[in-house]
Amino acid sequence: MTAAYSRPQPDPGPDGEPSMAAAPGDVGGPASASTPTAADGPLDSAAPSLVTGAATEAGSPPTADAVVAEPRRRLHPLSPLLSGAKSIAVIVAALSWQTLSQVGIERFALVVAVVAVGVVIFAVVGWLNTGYHVVGRELRIQDGLLWRRNRAIPLDRLQAVEMRRPLLAQLTGLAELRLEVVGGGKTEAPLAYLSVREAAALRQRLLALAGRTPGVVAAPGAAEPAPAAPERPLFRVSNRDLLISQLLTPQAFLLPVGVAFVVMQFVLEGSWTFVGIASTMTAMAGVLLQPIRRVLQDWDFRLARDPDGRLAVRYGLLETRSQIVPLNRVQSIGVTWPLLWRAKDWLHMRLDIAGYAGPQSNDDKRSDRLLPVGVFPAARQLVWEVLPGVDLAALPTLPPPDRARWLHPFALRSFGTGLTPEVFVARSGLLTKELTVVPYARLQSVRVVQGPVQRWLRLATVYADTAGGRSGVAQDRDVAEAWWIAEQLSIRARRAREATSQLPDAQQQVPAPAVQSPMPADGPAPGPAFADGPAPGPAFADGPTAGPGPASADGSVPGDDAYWRRPPQP
Amino acid sequence: MTEPSATAPAPTDPLEPWPDTVDWRPVSRSLITVELINRAIWVVVVLAGLTVGVVLTDHWIWPAAMAAVVVAAIWRSLVTVRAVKAWGYAERDNDLLVRHGLVIRRLSIVPYARMQFVDVTAGPLERAFHLATVQLHTAAAASDAKIPGLLPEEASRLRDRLTALGEDRAEGL
Repeated sequence: MTAAYSRPQPDPGPDGEPSMAAAPGDVGGPASASTPTAADGPLDSAAPSLVTGAATEAGSPPTADAVVAEPRRRLHPLSPLLSGAKSIAVIVAALSWQTLSQVGIERFALVVAVVAVGVVIFAVVGWLNTGYHVVGRELRIQDGLLWRRNRAIPLDRLQAVEMRRPLLAQLTGLAELRLEVVGGGKTEAPLAYLSVREAAALRQRLLALAGRTPGVVAAPGAAEPAPAAPERPLFRVSNRDLLISQLLTPQAFLLPVGVAFVVMQFVLEGSWTFVGIASTMTAMAGVLLQPIRRVLQDWDFRLARDPDGRLAVRYGLLETRSQIVPLNRVQSIGVTWPLLWRAKDWLHMRLDIAGYAGPQSNDDKRSDRLLPVGVFPAARQLVWEVLPGVDLAALPTLPPPDRARWLHPFALRSFGTGLTPEVFVARSGLLTKELTVVPYARLQSVRVVQGPVQRWLRLATVYADTAGGRSGVAQDRDVAEAWWIAEQLSIRARRAREATSQLPDAQQQVPAPAVQSPMPADGPAPGPAFADGPAPGPAFADGPTAGPGPASADGSVPGDDAYWRRPPQP
Repeated sequence: MTEPSATAPAPTDPLEPWPDTVDWRPVSRSLITVELINRAIWVVVVLAGLTVGVVLTDHWIWPAAMAAVVVAAIWRSLVTVRAVKAWGYAERDNDLLVRHGLVIRRLSIVPYARMQFVDVTAGPLERAFHLATVQLHTAAAASDAKIPGLLPEEASRLRDRLTALGEDRAEGL
């Protein structure tokens, strides 16, 4: 594909050498030339100009023209150094304390220096071969040294954009831009690194292109007014709460035991070597890694609504992350009440977005926080913001039938399932309570599964699958009820889909003031401070009874009474 | 449209919900043969390995293992016959239903609108018996709508129909 579009470009980049423009064209070849153009509809405006090349500068609509003529850009020149530093840290960690004590400090330094030079050279060559640009409604990225890769990312499939700034990048004023696209096992297209301003501008532009209204895309390039309207701050987690919440984890509770054990061992054996102490400290750090990492990652957690109604999430101390999620990309919300947090009445929430790797992936790497720690009223307000019309306090669920006690002797009452007008709700867990909320419009498929014991008890489990990787699970329902839930889920999902596809513009991008908070009138709750936005003022007038009032069109949704009458037992 | 009244869910056979609206179609019985041959090949390989053990060490555990393998294979084969009969699929107006499994029974309901792509595969053994497998993929990794043991013409008909319906009703996520 590079052969098709890199030729007409006037200049490879701001500081490019001529070999750059020619090289990818040679390798890309005719085989890959057809892939991007066959990909999607929105390309149509751009496709003819690609073929005719420079001739289009005069003709064709002005917006498409300006987009196509854009030269391929390089990443920031400092990026090879930064990415090299990362690999060096990994290598040093792999060499470990043991090696240090064996080879001595000079040799160790020498090895590290040699490795460092090699890594940086490799990174520089990689940097020379990496470039990106926006063509029509696609972002195209070329990279790779031996195996060259040209990727075209259709922006209308964009799920979320995240800007990450690790410590080194913060010191040098750089940022990494990560795009989440459906179907990738990992994050596609991390652009590491760009200057912060460039990254912010590119992100605004990609998100504008990703929105389904092509008319908005009139002003491409850095001319995009990035700080056009102020964001409306939604919520902020106090760092004190975050710290306490991570002290209330099993790892932190076990720490004193571990310290006592180690100290006792040292006292008994009386051997105080540097390597011994260093290794022990590393091991301890390993145990404590998760809570510490959580604190560092979720530090200064802020949520806001950007002017276009998208959700902006920012957090992190050493590595700051700033993520922008269009609300219609939210696949499900998970709420968890950990056992040790009960005393504080705290909970944490996660946001599932398609494109992030499945549930098996490392929990720390995922960027799925909606609320790292908070009290229930805060959670309720946030859920209302993310899924307008869903009130966390008004999600009634029914437990499974009593005979499911054979399967869950203690936890039966903690399971529950409910169908509200907008969402499918599933609760589970006796000690660590969990709640999953899946909007019908995001349902991918419905499964009914019945194991042998369940068959004997006439029970079945219903799964509501989403693209986010996690499913809403209605555990151990009566068979007839399970079929009924499955049927209802597919009917409601279809209606929700039809509703959204008929009004593509009126997706869930509800203007912010239209959504009123379900917060009760008696002001902000104790604990994390509510940031009252400048725009709508405290709109807390509605009590919980107002529930899904202003935002949802209730007339079109099937009445819910039927569900709460349990179907006749066979 | 298949919308049973919401208030009266008919209690039905666990494997066949909504009997009045859903027209279940079985998969080809030749799939039994294919599965049995597959198993036979596997058993022969394992028995060969165990025979080597017998020749080398002459320990009683080898014949015992052989007997166990044969018994397990026979039992699995009996199950296979019933399991293949339990596979079924149905095309409704808006979604595809696939059910399978004997011990753990599963039913998947996949709306055509959520289809991302359709796989049609046929291994050498399946081809010899004129069978193919159609699998429907959605954006959710958990959804499994796989229909084995289809005749080639039925497989291509299903594929074409699924893609046509998917194009009609498709949307992103």
